[in-house]
Amino acid sequence: MGGPLRHLRVPWLAALAAFWAHGAAAAGDVERGSAKAAQACAACHGADGNSTMENIPSLAGQPETFTTLQLILFRERVRDVAAMRDVARPLSDDDIADLAAYYARLPPRPGPGARDPAKAETGAALAERLRCATCHERNYAGREQMPRLAAQREDYLLHSMREYRDNQRAGTDTTMQGVLYGVSDGELAALAHYLAQLR
Amino acid sequence: MAAINRVLRYDGIEDKLDSPPQPTDLTDAFKLPSEQHHGWKFLAFGPDGKLYVPIGAPCNICEPSPNHAQIRRYNPDGSGMEVVARGVRNSVGFDFHPQTRELWFTDNGRDWQDENGPEEELNRVSQPGENFGFPYCHAMGIPDQDLKKANPCEGTTKPVVTLGPHTAALGMRFYTGQMFPAEYRDRIFVARRGSWNRTQKAGYDVVSVKVSPDGKEAKIEPFVTGFLDEGANAFWGRPVDVMQMPDGALLVSDEENGAIYRVSYSR
Repeated sequence: MGGPLRHLRVPWLAALAAFWAHGAAAAGDVERGSAKAAQACAACHGADGNSTMENIPSLAGQPETFTTLQLILFRERVRDVAAMRDVARPLSDDDIADLAAYYARLPPRPGPGARDPAKAETGAALAERLRCATCHERNYAGREQMPRLAAQREDYLLHSMREYRDNQRAGTDTTMQGVLYGVSDGELAALAHYLAQLR
Repeated sequence: MAAINRVLRYDGIEDKLDSPPQPTDLTDAFKLPSEQHHGWKFLAFGPDGKLYVPIGAPCNICEPSPNHAQIRRYNPDGSGMEVVARGVRNSVGFDFHPQTRELWFTDNGRDWQDENGPEEELNRVSQPGENFGFPYCHAMGIPDQDLKKANPCEGTTKPVVTLGPHTAALGMRFYTGQMFPAEYRDRIFVARRGSWNRTQKAGYDVVSVKVSPDGKEAKIEPFVTGFLDEGANAFWGRPVDVMQMPDGALLVSDEENGAIYRVSYSR
């Protein structure tokens, strides 16, 4: 792995530990989060947290811990995504806690696009084989630091899975890279379709 | 020092601990694969003066590339690379027998096949390039349930002994000290980090393994226990490595508590 660790300015685990020690995550303020989201996030991620923009993820219904962690990773440039740099840099710990609390409570809405039954079935079988539900839950709503996959944008799911498979992105550990190693593009596309179509 | 595929050398470091120099970057010389999963490295020099480097398979179970699932040795400058062991899923600990000078290593077995296995392995390398089974043959001859092949264990070497189901056997050292009773000489201490892929947790301890130099006999005994509460199925410590001090005491690192313990013996 090159990118994220090279830019490591604050070890992410220490940052996260400090964040929680401060108590911010326990008391994210949904109202403050709503205001902050309207100002800093909605333009790309959608007014209701459901993204209508290509390759930009929906945030509605993402587990609070997941959003908290990702915002810290973006802010510390451990996860370095150009579009998130300027947005994440000024966020305080309280901002992050508020945003995570706010987005976790928004109802996810699946994107447009017709369901391809054959593709969805292939994807379902793959999800079974790769045991996705052991972490992401049977309804793929995610939990703790593991994201909601159900009703996420299909293009973004495919993009993310490709990054994990191709060693371009790490989570808090390398589980996703291990799980997706050797999975073909066609298989990832079927998985993405299956998950995006889940209600 | 290695970090996934980066290899750095700090010269004269013991005299410069307060102000370490810029390292010499040997990454291009060693050409290690860059996959992170099972890519973190335990390194050691062998009695032959070569640097031994394990490279784990970047998956739970898969057909590894020719560059993964192996243990290599190199000259210190990165030249002369040889694969000394293949079919190694993910080794995070090894040492050299004090008498025979052969390489012995721990290997972590795959997940999701069975609650009780395939168990972690303690292996002995008797010839360079030996195949230890992954991905088709695990532990004492258990065929893989997903990657099937006729005669999956043919041409592979079985472990000296298995080290428990999903216990995560990591750091290991042969004991060569004078402090512990003589019966501990040439035994292997193995740190078992403890299971995640098992309903009833297992490991979370340090064991000693009494072995014959030819690997035909092995006996495992508990050495440091108490990190796992079996009744509550909960743990509070995770040993990951062991090291012997010059006076013969044993150091044990615990990642759960960020601690290093010293185990000593006196009459």
